[in-house]
Amino acid sequence: MTQYIKYVLIPFLTLLFYFFFPFPLFLEGNETTFVCVIILCFIVEYFIEKAKNGDKIYMRPIAAIKAMEEAVGRATEMGKPVLYVPGISSLDQIDTISGLTILGHVAGMTAEYDAGLQVPVCVPIVMETAKETCKEAYLKKGRSDLYRNDMVHYVTDDQFAYAAGVNGIMLREKPAAVFFQGKFYAESLILAETGNSIGAIQIAGTGSSSQIPFFVTACDYTLIGEEFYAASAYLSGSPEMLGSIKGQDYVKVGCIIMIVFVFISSALNGYGIINFDVSSLFRINIIR
Amino acid sequence: MKRQLAYFLVIFIGFLTLSGHFINYSPLNNFIDNDATQWFDIISGFAAFLGVVNLLQLHLNKISQKKDNWRYSIITLLGFLIMIFFGFIYNGSSVALGPHLKKEGSAFYWMFQNIYLPLGATMFALLAFFVASASYRAFKIRNFEATLLLISGVFLMIGRVPIGQLIPWWMSLEIYICLLFALIANRFKDKKKMLTLLTLSLLIFPILIFSLNLHDLALFKIPNLQEWIMDVPATAGSRAIMIGIALGTIAQSYRIITGREKSILGD
Repeated sequence: MTQYIKYVLIPFLTLLFYFFFPFPLFLEGNETTFVCVIILCFIVEYFIEKAKNGDKIYMRPIAAIKAMEEAVGRATEMGKPVLYVPGISSLDQIDTISGLTILGHVAGMTAEYDAGLQVPVCVPIVMETAKETCKEAYLKKGRSDLYRNDMVHYVTDDQFAYAAGVNGIMLREKPAAVFFQGKFYAESLILAETGNSIGAIQIAGTGSSSQIPFFVTACDYTLIGEEFYAASAYLSGSPEMLGSIKGQDYVKVGCIIMIVFVFISSALNGYGIINFDVSSLFRINIIR
Repeated sequence: MKRQLAYFLVIFIGFLTLSGHFINYSPLNNFIDNDATQWFDIISGFAAFLGVVNLLQLHLNKISQKKDNWRYSIITLLGFLIMIFFGFIYNGSSVALGPHLKKEGSAFYWMFQNIYLPLGATMFALLAFFVASASYRAFKIRNFEATLLLISGVFLMIGRVPIGQLIPWWMSLEIYICLLFALIANRFKDKKKMLTLLTLSLLIFPILIFSLNLHDLALFKIPNLQEWIMDVPATAGSRAIMIGIALGTIAQSYRIITGREKSILGD
């Protein structure tokens, strides 16, 4: 137990330092954000440490993640390629980075199964990163001979021209499995419906909440919200990555408790039973 | 060593960016707000050149090796070269090269307006048909959830069109009764009994509501109902997803900047 005391002590001291430092070292207005970031990071760290020390971590089975290997296997059996679409945003979006981390795992599967892989990209800098990701994944599986330089290729920067290009690839090459993992906008439904029309098994994942309904309708499996960000950690299976997901889940439980608490206290404040608006504590200002 | 350097850069820049949000040090804040984003743009600019090279390589290879569908590659390359020619070499107007890209009368502008934009608009317009086919699949009554989706979808559609305002209270009530029976229809074994009950409900309930003077209730105005669906259940659902996304983003960013998430580098 003593080994875990640091996860209480260090954040406590950090917060003391933050709030009582006599000079204006810290920006004003970001206090709530800072407290939340520190608490979240140390909770995640605590569960990573526990996982590394051998604590068993139960992960809820996520159908979409389980289906990834099946989809690649199906493509191999059918002798058709796997199409991986990493969205249309650049690397400044966490969704694109998450999409590329999942690509690393999917490329590993295609290398293992000797299935074809096609990654049409919309942003050149994403193309370079995706190339490195795939190359390393093939190398790690000891199948660098199967890696082709044109696996990851640039299509165009324009949103709908890209959608047209990817649709063309789908209709001509009829991939058996299609992955949509990244940041998507209005083109999501055009892509997913085309994939649906060719009978490909489709697995989507995005953090764009407005595109999730389209993917749910047109795809076989969809990673919704935080599932998408957890997919890579889930696929890696390493204890420390799984520990971080467990930590994230505990923070979510904390959020639910806080929501209920704020709801009740706001209601009491509304009826004049207490004279303090708790919700004002949670109004944050991250943008200076 | 090369990989260690990449990890080090990710971790260093990640923590630097994060600290820029909390530390009151103007060079650091300036770096995060301005310089770092400019660096990103410069690197992206170089990568754009690599994208063009990749596009040319891919399609030239396809044509030279006569791979499947190589004829499409000719069209792609032709489109690419024609736009380069009219963008960099031939102007077609009295305006200087460069500003001619946005000036009416230049060949490039004409092609952008009359070929590129209509093609983009065509792709966008396809969305309407895809929405129809996707909605059809989603609204098919397969289970309880799909039925609920259908019902709320119907209310949203009716409530958002002008005719929705004109629907009288009794018609709204009849629609509710019909939808309620659609929901519980599979519980009736005797369909004749169900039909009788439905007819009786359609006749009795409007009279009952009218006699109790409840017909002014907001519930019987479909635009109000669609507003409630959007404001309460839909917002609650989307906020739950948004909270999950926010937590997922923080945890994923934390994994990346502490160097634990290595799959992006193939590990």
